[in-house]
Amino acid sequence: MEPRSRSFYRNSEKALANATLQDAISRTTEKFLGHRADSIAAFPDFEAVRHEGSRIKQETLERLDHYLALFIAEAEKRGAVVHVARDAAEAREIAVGIARKEEITLAVKSKSMVAEEVELNGALEAAGVEVVESDLGEFIIQLAGEPPSHLIAPAVHKTREQVARLFEQKLGVPYTERIPELVQIARKHLRAKFLAAGMGISGANFLCAESGSIVLVTNEGNGRMGTILPRVHLAVASIEKVIPRLADLAVFLRLLPRSATGQVISTYVSVLTGTKRPGDPEGPDKLHILLVDNGRTAILQGKYREILKCIRCAACLNICPVYQSVGGHAYGWVYPGPMGSVLTPLLAGLAEGAPLPNASTLCGACAEVCPVKIPLPELLVELRADERSQGLKNPAEVLGMKAFAAVMNRAGILEALERVIGVLSQIFCKEGKVTWLPFKFSGWTDKRDFPSPGPQPFRRLWKKQRGIRPWNR
Amino acid sequence: MEPLDKKEELIRRIAVALRGHEGAKAAPRPPASSPGTGGESDRIARFRERFEEQGGNFLVAASLEALLPALGEMLRLSGVTVLFFPPDDAGARQVTEALVPFGPFSLASPAEVRHPSPHPAAGVQTAEFAIAETGSIIQTSRGGKTLLPGLLADVHVALLSPAAFVDRMEECLATLAEDPPRNLSFLSGPSRSADIEQTLTIGAHGPKKMIVVVF
Repeated sequence: MEPRSRSFYRNSEKALANATLQDAISRTTEKFLGHRADSIAAFPDFEAVRHEGSRIKQETLERLDHYLALFIAEAEKRGAVVHVARDAAEAREIAVGIARKEEITLAVKSKSMVAEEVELNGALEAAGVEVVESDLGEFIIQLAGEPPSHLIAPAVHKTREQVARLFEQKLGVPYTERIPELVQIARKHLRAKFLAAGMGISGANFLCAESGSIVLVTNEGNGRMGTILPRVHLAVASIEKVIPRLADLAVFLRLLPRSATGQVISTYVSVLTGTKRPGDPEGPDKLHILLVDNGRTAILQGKYREILKCIRCAACLNICPVYQSVGGHAYGWVYPGPMGSVLTPLLAGLAEGAPLPNASTLCGACAEVCPVKIPLPELLVELRADERSQGLKNPAEVLGMKAFAAVMNRAGILEALERVIGVLSQIFCKEGKVTWLPFKFSGWTDKRDFPSPGPQPFRRLWKKQRGIRPWNR
Repeated sequence: MEPLDKKEELIRRIAVALRGHEGAKAAPRPPASSPGTGGESDRIARFRERFEEQGGNFLVAASLEALLPALGEMLRLSGVTVLFFPPDDAGARQVTEALVPFGPFSLASPAEVRHPSPHPAAGVQTAEFAIAETGSIIQTSRGGKTLLPGLLADVHVALLSPAAFVDRMEECLATLAEDPPRNLSFLSGPSRSADIEQTLTIGAHGPKKMIVVVF
C-alpha cells in the first residue's frame, strides 16, 4: 500500500468522528491490555525473560551479517531456495517469478506484515495468481478491500454486522450475525482453498540461524495448514527476524503471546525446517524463502538500530493513548502505533512519515510494555530532531519552541509570564475553562476545553507554603 | 550465479552497516534456563491445568480399558462418526480399533479425510512430548510421520505416556535441535480466533476439540 502518513492529522480527524470505530478500538485495546496484565502478573519471571529477549535480539543484530549468512547456508542445506530482495519492487518481482515458475494459480496466505509492506498480493494478482488471505481477520479485510488496522487483530475496526453483510455479499451465504456461525462459514470456505492451493505464503515470526528454520505463531492454525498442504511454500521475511538458536525460541515464546494477547502460548507454533523428506507423506516439495531488506540495512547502520528488535506483538499499540484514540488506519501505512511511528519514517522516508514521531505524548508507556525493551520514546524524540535538522518542521513551530526554550531557561521571565496569564485567565475564562485559543493553538481547544490557569502560579504557592524565597534556592 | 551474488551482496552490505558499531563479538549466550522441578505426576498435573485453561480436554487412566468408555462418550458427544490414525502408529491403531464398539464409528485412512466430508472425523495420534509450562503437545514429522490428525480432523486425540511429559520448552527443543524435523509443531488446545469483535471462538481452521489422553 502507498504510504498515506503525511495526512495523519486529517486521517485522525476522520477516525475521531467515527463512533463505531471508537467503540471497536477501545474494546480491543482494553481486552488486550487486561489479558496482558493478567498473564504477566501470573508469571513472576517476566522481567528476567524480557531482559534475556532484549539481549539476544540486540546481540544478534550486532552480528547480523554472521547470523543471516548462517541462516541462509543452513536453510539451503535442507532444501530451501533463498532469495534476497533489496527493495519492495524486487520482492514483488521475485515472488511473481516464483509463482510463474511453479505454475501457481491459487495461493493461500497467512498473516505477514512485510508482505503488506512490499504489496505482494497486488503483484501476484496482477500476474494471474488468486491470493486468499487465510487468517480470519485478514480474510475479512481482504473481502472488504481494506488494509489491516492492527498488527495482530487486523479487522478490529469491523463490527459483526459489517462482517455478516460482507459474507452475505461476497460469499453468497445467508445473513447471520452469530459470530460462531461466521467463523464456520470462513472455515468451510477457506478449507476448500487450502486443499486446492498450489502454494502457501507465510511470513515468519522468527528465523532460526543454526537450523535454517522458519517459525510461525498462530491461533487459528492457518499458518500450519498453509505450510503442510500445498506443494510449494513461500516464506517472506524481513532480515531482522533472525535469532541464533532453536533454544532461544523458548525465550521469545514466553514473551510474544503474553505481550500480544495475554496467552501463555499461542495455540499453534510451527518450526519449519527444509522441504519434504524421503518418506514424508505430506509437506512442501519446494520451499522458497524471500528475505527482504527494503531499507533495513540503513536502519542497522544508525542510531535507530533498536527498532529492528521488534517482534510485532502490538503491546505498544494497545497501551498508546494516541493509538487508542485514532486506531491503526490513521497512521497511513502498514505499521501503526509507537513502533510504526518509528519504523514508517525510517522505511518510507522521513518526509512521508513526518507527522508520526510527533503523534506521541512521550508518556513512555510503550517502552514499559515492550517485551524486548525498545526505547521507543527516545527514538521518537530522535526522529523529531532529525526532522528539525532536515528542515521538515513548520517554521512557526520552530519559532514557538525557541520562544518556549527562552522562557523556560529564565525563571524571572517565566514567573512574570505566569502572573500575567493568571490575571488574564481571571478576566477571559468562563467557568474555569479555556474554550478558545487563536491561530495554530486552536488545535488544543477545537475538540475540548482546557482547564484555565489558576490566579496564582504553582511556583508562587510553593514558595508561600514552604516559606522559600527565590534567593534561598 | 546471480542469486548467489545477491545473497553475498546483502551480507556484505550488512557487514558494512555494522562496521564501527559492533558490540560484543562473541556469540550471544544461550538463554539461562533453570532445571525442571517436580516429578512426573506434578508435571502432568501442571500440564493438565494449563491445557484445560486453553480449552483442551484431558483424560487420564491407569489402562487403555479404563479410559475407552469416557473417550468414546466424549467423541460421540462431539458428533464424531469417523476415526482415523496414521498407519505406522501402532499405539493409535490399538486405541482407535478398541474405540469402535463404543460408538457408531467407522474407520478411514488419513488420505480419505483430506477431502471435505459432512461426517465429523477424529484423528488419533501418539504425540512425542507434552510441555507442562505451556500446556502444549509436540508433534513432529520425524521419521516420515503425518501431521494430518492434528491438522484436518474435527477432533484431535493425542496419546501420551506419562514419560513424555517435560517441564519446560527448552527440554524438548534441545532434543529436537540436533536434527530438526521438517515440521515441529506445538499444539496447545483447539483452534481459536478472536478476530470478530474480539470474541473468542473455537474451531477456526484446526480441530474444534483437542483431547489429550494419558495412560
